[in-house]
Amino acid sequence: MLRRTLASNWFYVVLMIALIVLPHAIGWVSGDSPFGVRGRPVGQSIYWQGILIEVFVLAVLAMSYNLVFGFTGVISFGHALFFGVGGYILGIVLEYTDLTGEVGLLIGIGLTLIVSAVLGLVIGLVTLRLRGVYFAMFTLAVAEMFYIFFSRLALTRAEDGFALTELPVWIDPTRSRLTFYYIALALLAVTFLFIRRLIFSPTGAVLLAVRENEERARTIGFDTLRFKLLAITVAGMIASLAGLIQVILNKKVGPEVLNVSNTIDPLLMTIIGGAGTFTGPVIGAAGLHLGDRLLRDLVIEVGGASIDIGANWALILGIVFILVVLVFPYGIVGTFRRWRTRQAK
Amino acid sequence: MRPNILVSVALLVAVVAFGYFLSPDLGSFGITIMSGLFQGMLLFLVASGLSIIFGLMDVLNFAQGAYFMVGAYVSYSVHHSPDVMAAIPDPNIRFFLSVISAVAVGAILGGLLERFLLRPLYARPVFQIVLTFGVAIVMTEAVKFIWSTNPYSWTVLFSLRDQSFQLFGQSFGVYRLVVIGIGFALIILIGLLLQRTRIGIIIRAGVEDREMVEALGINVRMVFTLVFTIGCAVASFGGAIAAPFLGASAGLANLFLLSAIAVVVLGGMGSYAGTAMGSLLLGLALSVMQVFAGKPQIGLPVLASMTPMMLMILVLLVRPGGLFGKGR
Repeated sequence: MLRRTLASNWFYVVLMIALIVLPHAIGWVSGDSPFGVRGRPVGQSIYWQGILIEVFVLAVLAMSYNLVFGFTGVISFGHALFFGVGGYILGIVLEYTDLTGEVGLLIGIGLTLIVSAVLGLVIGLVTLRLRGVYFAMFTLAVAEMFYIFFSRLALTRAEDGFALTELPVWIDPTRSRLTFYYIALALLAVTFLFIRRLIFSPTGAVLLAVRENEERARTIGFDTLRFKLLAITVAGMIASLAGLIQVILNKKVGPEVLNVSNTIDPLLMTIIGGAGTFTGPVIGAAGLHLGDRLLRDLVIEVGGASIDIGANWALILGIVFILVVLVFPYGIVGTFRRWRTRQAK
Repeated sequence: MRPNILVSVALLVAVVAFGYFLSPDLGSFGITIMSGLFQGMLLFLVASGLSIIFGLMDVLNFAQGAYFMVGAYVSYSVHHSPDVMAAIPDPNIRFFLSVISAVAVGAILGGLLERFLLRPLYARPVFQIVLTFGVAIVMTEAVKFIWSTNPYSWTVLFSLRDQSFQLFGQSFGVYRLVVIGIGFALIILIGLLLQRTRIGIIIRAGVEDREMVEALGINVRMVFTLVFTIGCAVASFGGAIAAPFLGASAGLANLFLLSAIAVVVLGGMGSYAGTAMGSLLLGLALSVMQVFAGKPQIGLPVLASMTPMMLMILVLLVRPGGLFGKGR
């Protein structure tokens, strides 16, 4: 049993081991300790840990988006709302209550999960009965207005946001970055396994049926509204956890966590990587974020005019996105899979 | 009178009455109403395209706000460009020209979007929605690339924008009044176009039953491209005439898209009369809420920006089809 599981999943196991070893490997190659120097976060290994944590956060966010868009066929343009709620609730708990350290953290996480679930349920109940496009419009509008609201409200310190200063030492990314790296990696792995388990379960089969043909699924006797609600609620909770990791990494909560870019990123990553596949969003997240990081300082000369790749990254991504939607709607993973099945025939 | 018209008029009266009670004198009440009508007209210019396009071809164009933004930038640039200034020193004629060029750019970009990007995707509606969202991103980023990220404010005035008149001890800008007039004229004009002309009849028939229209031998694809072009041109026109007040900035795209979405939900998707009524209502409600939330007793100006969302939630809960919609 174990052998068969390992044999069919060897790729993921190898990747996981590689990611566990990676900080040490970078540390060994560059000579910088993966634990930082005298408690200070410096060195190559620490730097790459930070970037990989960002990749993990985006991958988790994209996977949660994929659960709604790729597997259930519901378009949401408001994923930033769930992402941002996670950060803000932790910030408010640590800032306005006497709870600090582990207790504050745990209560923050618990409240985040509850609030994001309630938000998902309420938004879903209001709009999911209607045509799909209502959900897309409504989530976009709600997320954007929350962004405006939080960036001007005195309670949330408007544009400035909070600094998270009362975190326990073991999770503090400036003091024990390596631990935090493994926490983020664990969240990635658990999310991946969870979504795979969910999709292969009978519930997941109904979600796929809703995506393929909702009316038919309803005709068979499934209450499709309940399944769509489940998908959006679970996805919202996962996205809020990604948001938590993000704000702990930055040690700061501000309106930028609610910015529409946190909706655009997972959407692009999911579609470019491959909507409705398990690895697609992860590959999309890794590819786009690492590409952003590596090409940030690149300036290319085209016919005398120099184009700054880093400054126009969003424009380039947008154009790539449109091309992918038009030409490769199954994304990297889906297109590759189709190509391979055609080869096999 | 049909009940939905009755409800709409009652809502309008309620909003205006609330605005009246908030105002200390007739002058500031007039300012509130005028600003509300002004915002409502601009909203109508974005929302009408959104609604008609959705009704006819089931595409919700998330790029509609971006066309508004592009219109603002084009009209700003043409009006302020040194070359055009040298060629046409008269600011009034130049403004007229800049509005026309904004409309032309909007129409061309709109036509291209429908013909080359949306047409291959009619079999895959989910990807159409995602694509228009992507186009909105690209247009916003392209604008930042071409015009930099800094917002522009309109500096070279023209005589209409400059004038004002006195009433009840307050001064009113003539330009706002002109925009309101143009807005009402367009509401009637587009309404007549839809009611009276052959193409309008085809569009309305297409909203009811697209396949039937196709079966009658009418080239619906052509009509799609035409409607999309006009819808985007109108949004671009809105940006162009709003620019002397709002300037040009990348934030306009999202701002107007969100409010236009609220208008469409409020009025009922695909209903022209609903869109017109919804724009007026939301414009006035926004203006009244700005006064209300800015009062020292309330002191929460941010509340005004929540108005579209609160209205939307209310409508979706009470009557999901909107004021003029057909149920769902």
